[in-house]
Amino acid sequence: MSRPAAAARRTHKGEYIETDTGNKISRKSHIDGKQHIMLGGRTVVMAGVQMRGDLCRVAEKSSDGGAEKEGPTTAIAVGSVDVEIMVQRGTIISTNSVLRPPMRLSRGQMTCYPMRMGDNIFIGPGSHISAASISSHVYIGANCVLSPFCVIKESCKILPNTVVPPHMIVPPGSIVAGRPGRIIGEVGDGWGQGGGGGEGEEWVEGGDLRPLVRSIK
Amino acid sequence: MAAPWANTYYACPCSELSAAAPPNVSNGGTPLELPGSFDNGEEGSTFDPHNPRANYSLYPLDNLLYCDECDAIRCPRCWIEEVINWYCPSCMFEVPTSAIKSDGNRCSRNCYNCPLCTSPLTISSVASPRPVEDSLKPSDAARPQESYLLQCQYCDWTSLDVGIQLDRPTKITEQLVRLRKSKDTKTDPISVSNREETFNNLTNFYKEELQGSTESQTPFGNSPYNSPANLARIMSLYGGVSHTALKKSREKPQPMREASSHSQGLLVYTADKSDAEEEILQRLKELGWNGTTTGEQRQMAPVNNDARFLGQLWPVATALRTRRGRRCRSCRQFLTRPDPKMGSIRYKIRLLALNFIPRLSLKPLNAIPPPSNPAFRLTLDDSPQPLLQPFTPLQYVLTIRNPIFEKIKVSLATPDTTPGKVASKVTILCPSFDVGPAGDIWDEALGSSTTTPSAANDGGRKAAMASLTGSTTDTDRQPEAGKIWEKTRNSTSVILEIVPGSLKPPSRIVTLTKQEREEQAPRQDDDRLEIAVYVRVQWETHEEGPEAGLGKRDAERKMPSGEAKVAKELAYWCVLDVGKIADV
Ligand SMILES: [Zn+2]
Ligand SMILES: [Zn+2]
Ligand SMILES: [Zn+2]
Ligand SMILES: [Zn+2]
Repeated sequence: MSRPAAAARRTHKGEYIETDTGNKISRKSHIDGKQHIMLGGRTVVMAGVQMRGDLCRVAEKSSDGGAEKEGPTTAIAVGSVDVEIMVQRGTIISTNSVLRPPMRLSRGQMTCYPMRMGDNIFIGPGSHISAASISSHVYIGANCVLSPFCVIKESCKILPNTVVPPHMIVPPGSIVAGRPGRIIGEVGDGWGQGGGGGEGEEWVEGGDLRPLVRSIK
Repeated sequence: MAAPWANTYYACPCSELSAAAPPNVSNGGTPLELPGSFDNGEEGSTFDPHNPRANYSLYPLDNLLYCDECDAIRCPRCWIEEVINWYCPSCMFEVPTSAIKSDGNRCSRNCYNCPLCTSPLTISSVASPRPVEDSLKPSDAARPQESYLLQCQYCDWTSLDVGIQLDRPTKITEQLVRLRKSKDTKTDPISVSNREETFNNLTNFYKEELQGSTESQTPFGNSPYNSPANLARIMSLYGGVSHTALKKSREKPQPMREASSHSQGLLVYTADKSDAEEEILQRLKELGWNGTTTGEQRQMAPVNNDARFLGQLWPVATALRTRRGRRCRSCRQFLTRPDPKMGSIRYKIRLLALNFIPRLSLKPLNAIPPPSNPAFRLTLDDSPQPLLQPFTPLQYVLTIRNPIFEKIKVSLATPDTTPGKVASKVTILCPSFDVGPAGDIWDEALGSSTTTPSAANDGGRKAAMASLTGSTTDTDRQPEAGKIWEKTRNSTSVILEIVPGSLKPPSRIVTLTKQEREEQAPRQDDDRLEIAVYVRVQWETHEEGPEAGLGKRDAERKMPSGEAKVAKELAYWCVLDVGKIADV
């Protein structure tokens, strides 16, 4: 699942399959094209989530065969994808969300583009994600639509039921809401800080989500 | 019964509304009376979260800053902002301040927004087999070169809707300015250049007039004072009267000439536009309401201010945004200062309130299962937050967490009935207590990651486990007045008893007048149970200063002898949003 070599093992007979790198994959999720999906560790994929790794760019058979090895064949990359320095930090993809790499017509051919995601991203339930990239410490509420090729930079908050229009670039630290989504404000200077509280309040929006990842069983 | 998760908001004491301290706690360090409440009799001394103005002083903790020079919380009202850089949110390019002054606050590269829906516009080439276009221009020969359009992929508006077609996919701004100019010349009898020329004529004329009138009337003809600038300086040095006022008093007012011809910048209004107006009326009839622009669309950019119909809307250049630093309003030191390098999300300075002031959190006691943080809803069919039943006593655990490295002494106070229409009863069982110092960050990290809790954490862990499982020996424990519920290294929890009031006004025998009934009618959010708690924190720090040596008499902390201690104090209102009360 996570890295080609990482074999999924059963830890207990729960809902989740836990991998060596701490990814938790619900048995009730629908994942296509596993070989094209990279999970950087401590990522939770919840029930009903659809990940369309099969929508990846077809490796070009022509001249440059070297390009086949990297980027293009990855459809969805979650967490730090620098394989040498694996940052073990959690991203949570809540129930019934759909992750679908963006695609567009290019020279008469439908071409898929990879989707990249950073660390500590929370994706609310029922969201439909086709973004080109989502940076770290982003909080996405329930029922959002991130239209194809939108780019969400660091530390943004997307309020529930927002439709981020195609190709929109959301600068760091923005609060986005509406249909179409507009920047309605900025997150506080302490965004993501102040975790480490008691049980259940260890995680804050935009903060370190590892405790929340741990709590999901 | 299941009880919801509570949100906490903090009031910055900089406004009159939030600065008022309840009478019982404002005098000295005397501990509060046991029930932790005070009489609500003194009007204005308690903070009412339902006051419409309360919204302007309540903030989530991560939005507040702290000035360590002034030892005070800082909010948007008491900090000042300073622009560090301007940038375009779409292409992320920084725009120098000089360019802002000359070109305005919009991106001059290729960033445009849809005039209908504000989504970003993309540049695409006009596909050759475009049936619409073919039918419009059947006789047009095949274009030798490609042409481009701006397209909104959200609402499908394209620049072709307003007749904009571009020759190149680059230098959009340049092309649009050119197109706009030619369009204006076509539609407007007075062309843009003509208008600019007229305006220049007019300003020149009046400048000359002003010049002439001052020169001819300066009373100090050949003296060194004849330069107006010199005169003004001398006047401001020696006289209390301003230069202009003095001049006015000495001179006879001379009538100034007015512009009277086109060369002087006069443009006479001709009323022969009735045809145009007729045309507008005709179009209004044809297009109807849906064909006209909304106020928002017109206000989005100056270029669209006069657009009456959707077909007149011009693409809107993306407005620039700023990155700002924040300074304390009273001592002017930087509270936050982002790294001036664009694209960096680091801060050079960041004094967050959450690192200085104790944090409050409220959670139901013995809730099974423990409530989930509504911010992290994992499934869509999670039931909405349960409603609070009126007159049903509820017990909550109020935890105060200390972020600073000194032991703090906390006093809490709250009105025993909440102000406003719905009177809920609130009792803090133990309103005065100590909270231990925050440890090293590594202690905390280790404490939360290791499975075996440290000795200091043990009690809290056990209690937490008990509240999670709800089946250990601790469940028998009853909250006691005056006793702390649980304590960890840097947090202390006390019990809060809440009896939600009823939304219905008490029944009365006397019939109400119309005005009284109006006053009693529930307003929006009246059903929200929000508890305002006044938090007063005292601590001591070793610091050299004029106050050194003023140790508190009730200091319990053992200090190395000879070290100076400074007593510090901080007080603020905090609002705990418990949930909604059921209307029964
Ligand atoms: Zn303030
Ligand atoms: Zn731009
Ligand atoms: Zn649009
Ligand atoms: Zn200050």
